[in-house]
Amino acid sequence: MRASVGNKTSLCYALLCCFLIGLMPAISHADTRAVEGFGVVVKNAELTLQGDSYALSAEIDYRLSARAKEALQNGVPLYWDMHIKVLQRRDYFWDKTLVNTGIRYRIQYHALLNMYRVRNEGAGDVTNFSTLSAALDSMSTIRDFRVMDKAIYAPGERYAVGIKVTLDRDALPLPLRPVAYINPQWYLSSDWTLWPLTK
Amino acid sequence: MAFDKIKPPVSLSILVLFGLILLLLQLMSSATQESSELSAMYSWLLLVNALGSVVLLGLVGANIYSLARQLKKREAGSRLTTRMVSLFVVLALAPAVIVFYFSMQFLHQGIDSWFNVEIDRAMEDALELSQASLDQRMRWHLRQIQQLTGRLVDSPETLVTLEMENLRELSGASEMTLFSRQGRIIASSSINPSDILPSLPDDHTWLQLRQNSEFVAVAPVREDELMIRVIVTVKTREPQYLQALYPVPIRIADLADSVEFAFVRYQEMNFLRNSLKLSFSLALSLVLLMSLLAAIWVAFISIRNIIAPVKALVKGTQAVASGHYDQDLPVTAQDDLGFLVESFNEMTHRIARASDETRMAGIEVENQRAYLETILANLTAGVISFDTVYKIRTANQAAYRIFHVHVNQFVGRTLLELVQSYAELAEPLKSIQRLLEQADDIWQQRIAFLGPNGRQELLCRGTPLFSQEGHRVGAVVVFDDVTDLIQAQKNAAWGEVARRLAHEIKNPLTPIQLSAERLQHKLADKLTAGDADMLQRSTATIVQQVEAMKEMVDDFSEYAKPSKKQTLDIDLPRLVQEVLALYVLKSGVKFKADYDKGLLMIKGDPVSIRQVLHNLIKNALEASGAQGLIEISLHRVQKNNTDFIEIALYDDGSGIKDEQIERIFEPYVTTKSRGTGLGLAIVKKIIEEHGGAIWVDTSRKVGAGFIIQLPACNF
Repeated sequence: MRASVGNKTSLCYALLCCFLIGLMPAISHADTRAVEGFGVVVKNAELTLQGDSYALSAEIDYRLSARAKEALQNGVPLYWDMHIKVLQRRDYFWDKTLVNTGIRYRIQYHALLNMYRVRNEGAGDVTNFSTLSAALDSMSTIRDFRVMDKAIYAPGERYAVGIKVTLDRDALPLPLRPVAYINPQWYLSSDWTLWPLTK
Repeated sequence: MAFDKIKPPVSLSILVLFGLILLLLQLMSSATQESSELSAMYSWLLLVNALGSVVLLGLVGANIYSLARQLKKREAGSRLTTRMVSLFVVLALAPAVIVFYFSMQFLHQGIDSWFNVEIDRAMEDALELSQASLDQRMRWHLRQIQQLTGRLVDSPETLVTLEMENLRELSGASEMTLFSRQGRIIASSSINPSDILPSLPDDHTWLQLRQNSEFVAVAPVREDELMIRVIVTVKTREPQYLQALYPVPIRIADLADSVEFAFVRYQEMNFLRNSLKLSFSLALSLVLLMSLLAAIWVAFISIRNIIAPVKALVKGTQAVASGHYDQDLPVTAQDDLGFLVESFNEMTHRIARASDETRMAGIEVENQRAYLETILANLTAGVISFDTVYKIRTANQAAYRIFHVHVNQFVGRTLLELVQSYAELAEPLKSIQRLLEQADDIWQQRIAFLGPNGRQELLCRGTPLFSQEGHRVGAVVVFDDVTDLIQAQKNAAWGEVARRLAHEIKNPLTPIQLSAERLQHKLADKLTAGDADMLQRSTATIVQQVEAMKEMVDDFSEYAKPSKKQTLDIDLPRLVQEVLALYVLKSGVKFKADYDKGLLMIKGDPVSIRQVLHNLIKNALEASGAQGLIEISLHRVQKNNTDFIEIALYDDGSGIKDEQIERIFEPYVTTKSRGTGLGLAIVKKIIEEHGGAIWVDTSRKVGAGFIIQLPACNF
């Protein structure tokens, strides 16, 4: 009986290993991304007090992979989510999320007018650009994005601000989604950039 | 057991599982519809389904592994399970694989058939047509505006606003604005008076304008409205820019939009062609894999359930084969297998009952046999049974006692083999063997032989044994030691003879004696001296002989009459010593006495025992002559759990001839020239009356030896 239990456990491990090996391309995406030079990087970001609220300013570098560019040029809209969060640091407990907000952009190519259209999904602003780089540039600069009230900030506590930009793969056309989860060319999201909020 | 009770039935679990799988697959299939609300969950559904497949794969793998182990251990039912599972898998796999293959074919061909070169070109042409149409309209507006700028050059600055209004109406633009070189609004006119702020060109437009001195572009405003923006340079002293906005007619905008939408959709589909194939193939494979795995797993479970009674039956049969009849298998189903199990249970019950009955019968037979053996063992008659080759099969205690042969020497040997070991039994054993071989029916024979305790006489009755078919299966011999019986008969006969003899002879003796004395008394004086002397001698002879005859008759009557014993405790060594003391002085014979230490007491009539000793010692004295040696010894011996005192008396005289030994204790048997021959007969009679035995020690080669055994007196 003992032996059979042991064997079953080892069988489970073997299956788990197979599963993990299947996930390997997804895990190793970071390396390929670095080599081929694509992905989103948050270059700099700061949260400053403006009047009675904190506002975010950030510079984000969008570099699309060949596959993503191809998809865009073939009319596939790409949705980008910029996640912004403010955390209250706690020593003996996990951090408390005070603010969790974000901006959602859609970028799509219009064949008729041969232009790229960027739409801020929250505000509903639509801007057209004749080049891709211009369209991406328009998304890359964040100015004075109001994040939270000054009142939330309590002196003596420690705070951290985080920013992360992700490509919403679940908004891709359905047939592309499984591929997007497997192919590293679609791993475009940035990592969290965290910095302490000092005042 | 408690766990079994709360466990839901397997069939229900299987139904729930199948329902779940179907639901998941249906959800995934629905999610593939772009418009579906589930579309957002597609990735999760895919993952859940994949995980489900992995779990099912694990379950199937574990089942296969356990089956392989069972096969290796050659467990009951494992081979049948393997065959059924293999059959099921092959049956399920074959159509599934065929359907899968053709589905994939159709899927790929179907997707490929959506796209071809003609549609490609048509789509591109349609887009180009739309673009050309818009382009033409833009150029026309540009030319129109360029022509109109001439009128602005001449008009004074104060009238520009008014002129703008005219120009706008003339050109048909929806809005017209004049910018200074720095981008300041000089004048503006709009079809809609509420629009106070005119549409401003962006930085990019300004850049292009400064490079080319004119700008024309179509741009979307709001959702589904297109606007043509035309900006030209007004060549005044200070260069100015005139911007005109023309709305594209809604119909044209709609058409262009529709063409663009179709083109983009087609482009997207074309681009996604491979992904689409992959995605559909993935979904199809997942559906097939999951259903197959689930089916195989369920097959394992149901086959296991089906096989369970068979397994139990196999184990039960093995147990019955190895002698464990108390098998009661649980009847789990009311189907054919359940019926089989019920029948098996009934069969084992019957076998168990039959086996119990057989065992009981065996015990009964054994008891019966033991009972018979006990009876046989306690018989005084010896019983010996033989097999077909005359080997002894059984012999009872009495047989051992009569032959004085130890128990374990008897069984399994033939009588002739026993003869070699026990020479003294040669005669009776050979006789019995001969009778066994010859007899075809019941036989009876009296066999006499000289045993270790003297002459023994056996009454043998034998019968061959036959089986029910009439074959000879052996024989049985029953024999009684009738030595004592015959001796008693002889003694009784002799007693009767003696009594009659005494009675018949003694009566005339006294008259004879008296008559002879009277003759002598009357005639002595009347005869001559010579005659008188002869008379004297004759009458003396008569009287003497009559006296002798009287003595003899007295002896006879003594022998014949039942002794009237008085029973006393006798200290044998003392008694022997007293008797010997009488002879030691009288004769020159040497006596050698040897007694065991301790008390050697018997119960008996001291007078009779004294007579026995006298008779024996007299005989010994007569046999050994004046210079003989008489040895007498007293020993304590044990025979048949009874203590005996053994008196042994040996002389070194002439001995007893072999032919006389058998009859020496009978009356009128004597080796002496004179004597009645009653001495030893009386001795034997007295000893037997005391419950003892006397026999001649035949092992003695010099002289004669008598051995007497008398029951010892136990205190």
